[in-house]
Amino acid sequence: MQASVHQETPILQVVGLRKSYGPTHALGGVSFEINRGEVHALLGENGAGKSTLVKILTGVVSPNSGSMTFRGTPYSPRSILQARATGITTAFQELSLLPNLTVAENLALPCLKKNWFGLNSDARSCDTAAATLLKFGLSELRPSILVSDLSLADRQRLEIIRALSHEPSLLILDEPTAVLPSTDWLFDLIRRETAKGTAVLYISHRLNEIRQLCSHATVLRSGCSIGTTDLRDTDDAKIFEMMVGQRMASKQKPLRRDHAETQQQKPRLRVTSLSAGMVNDLDLALYPGQIVGLAGLDGQGQSDLFHALYGLIAKRSGTIEIEGKKVVIDSPAAALAAGVQVALLPEERKTQGIFGDLSVRSNMAVSALHLIGLLGFTTRKSERELARDVSGQVDLQQRYLDFQIKDLSGGNQQKALLGRVLLTKANTLLLFDPTRGVDVGTKQALYLAIEDFASKGGAVLLYSSELAELVRLSERCLVIYRGRIAAELQGEDIEETALVAAATGHQRHGAGEAA
Amino acid sequence: MTANNVSLSTLAKSSAGTAALLYIVLLVAYVSIERSALSVSAFSDLVNNAAPLAIAAAGGTLIVLLRGFDLSVAGIISLVNVILATHPMDDALGALGSLGLALSVGAGVGLINGALIAYGGFQSIAITLATMIMTGGLALVVLDAPGGAVADWLSENLTDTVAGFPVSGLVMLAVVGLWAIARKTNFGVSLYAVGQDEHAAALSGIEVKRTRCLAFVFAGALYGLSGFMLSAQTATGNPTAGNSLLLLTFAAIALGGTSFRGGKGGLTGSIIGAASLMLLQKLLFSVGVQSFYIGLLQGVVMILAVGLMNAGDRFGVKRA
Repeated sequence: MQASVHQETPILQVVGLRKSYGPTHALGGVSFEINRGEVHALLGENGAGKSTLVKILTGVVSPNSGSMTFRGTPYSPRSILQARATGITTAFQELSLLPNLTVAENLALPCLKKNWFGLNSDARSCDTAAATLLKFGLSELRPSILVSDLSLADRQRLEIIRALSHEPSLLILDEPTAVLPSTDWLFDLIRRETAKGTAVLYISHRLNEIRQLCSHATVLRSGCSIGTTDLRDTDDAKIFEMMVGQRMASKQKPLRRDHAETQQQKPRLRVTSLSAGMVNDLDLALYPGQIVGLAGLDGQGQSDLFHALYGLIAKRSGTIEIEGKKVVIDSPAAALAAGVQVALLPEERKTQGIFGDLSVRSNMAVSALHLIGLLGFTTRKSERELARDVSGQVDLQQRYLDFQIKDLSGGNQQKALLGRVLLTKANTLLLFDPTRGVDVGTKQALYLAIEDFASKGGAVLLYSSELAELVRLSERCLVIYRGRIAAELQGEDIEETALVAAATGHQRHGAGEAA
Repeated sequence: MTANNVSLSTLAKSSAGTAALLYIVLLVAYVSIERSALSVSAFSDLVNNAAPLAIAAAGGTLIVLLRGFDLSVAGIISLVNVILATHPMDDALGALGSLGLALSVGAGVGLINGALIAYGGFQSIAITLATMIMTGGLALVVLDAPGGAVADWLSENLTDTVAGFPVSGLVMLAVVGLWAIARKTNFGVSLYAVGQDEHAAALSGIEVKRTRCLAFVFAGALYGLSGFMLSAQTATGNPTAGNSLLLLTFAAIALGGTSFRGGKGGLTGSIIGAASLMLLQKLLFSVGVQSFYIGLLQGVVMILAVGLMNAGDRFGVKRA
């Protein structure tokens, strides 16, 4: 697939890059090359290793093994400044601007312009900043205003300009268009820079943008580079397949109830035109006994949706009905009282889920204290009995019950948390990426527990960054894109390639929406 | 033109303004009750009283700007005080030596704090609590009961006035001046950047650890200076001299408009905040409020002032 037309040596060559964080392999062998003046796309699902690769290229983390060659010399940056000095700069997805400093100060960091006393000169910083802004077509921004006064789109532009102002030979753009209303400005800028010979590594989920800009794309999957492809003779289906791989799409789904039967029931949870955070005018319904999947790329509003349903963020508009009755959910306690239980993702498990120093059984029993209390007191015996009952359901070995939960592996912590959720007897379960970072065996156990919960009449909304999981579990699968449900797939139509296509905004899937 | 805009906008955004307003209100109230307050000696008393707290608060602000806590202020002030009381060095040269000693004791403890917190990755509150206990203990080793005498030259000259202006006020102005210069260095900008968002600061190429360590060293030096000023005023040694200043320091910082969330505020505000706290105390005394109630009322005024600032902040955010 290395159909490179350039005969010159590539500006950046990456060979066999590996990086592990403890037992997790973030990168397991990434190789690719970029030529001068080329816009090279980097594609991959969530968690495929894109951000780790960016961090390595920028000198924020160093790889465990593998080599990089930049402009013909070995390249192993130890800091951002070193990478910058060598000629690689990055516009970060999470934005590295400081909102309490001015535009000029942000552009000049970490060393500001000095006056003849050797002190920072606001005037000179502003002049330099104004020249930079003018050069990159953003002269409407005043250098002296604080970044906190800028719109998100302007901050994104400033982040890009800051990376460009160091005149890099390789510019890394990480999801640069996520908050830009129009791409014209950026694309013009990129074309102007590449004409001068600057190479661009362009990371985006949006295939149509990538097709406009890039000639070649490297696809990452589970931390490995699958290959570099010439975009001109690769169709979208082929790219999706490279991203997703030939993972078995076996559908060993348990017996499904008749579709019509489900629809006749009253929905357990109905959300109508909800707007909160990034979620914009979203509708959704959960029925008893049904697992509804939710697919989406990072940052499409899925976490805001879950947080809104659990009362963690305020909603701007829309209604939530439970069993046909309108409810106000403005706090997790209100959500629990309404019978909605949320299990959040492991990333937040540390902060929102577990009490590290308490034993596993206390952690499991904590949201069901009213069930075990005798006159308001918790007895250790009743707590243990309760935890033992539920630990069977989630396949957690009983010997773990007396351990401090922080000593357990991530997977076992997740089982304990799911056990806690089941203990609350909530009949609606919202699961946010429940199996991220857990091993295959644990996943199976969690799947069974979730299916068991649904088969007993519980309603489940399951967000997962792993598409295979959604294909395996969900009876109905929604795809969220830019804060809205972009597609709804039913039963046999739920396939990874279809989900990826909808999640990248590739096509609007009408099927099932009317049903 | 742009330069003017920058300085104007920073001035408008600086929360020192609110504190200054509070100070003026208190001063007017005080003067209207106590006519003699306008005399040179009364004014210089006022300033002398406020100086140790103000300088200690200025040091603490550096750490609060970084979203940290520095409790070592109490121990450092006590330690410097007993050292100066047990090792008096007379005349101007001796005073200079004493100043150097005070600054280096403070900066030394600050360096221990900074190294452990920035490079060792420990929590600031835990480490500075430990160094506070250590330096407080050391102060008791040097002088186990109140006593000793600070050099006469110090206690006389530093509480005096120069052309009608109190010397301690000049020292405070010097601190403000140094801060104005520091604010214009890469360190000054880094301080705000790291306090706002450590991660983004690192991605912007700022040396986060070095900034944090330096801040603790400078803060320690200012605590040392605060101990120096306190010694000049009390003219005697007390191994627990700094303890009463500990919580007032944080009160002054809050009153001065520095955000405990980091990245917002400044030293000047804290100095005015400290002056306001001390003036409030005087005002309440002169009205005849019994001393038992003074703490209570100080707290109430603080809540009101901080509430006012928060309200202003929220208004500002909504507008943006």
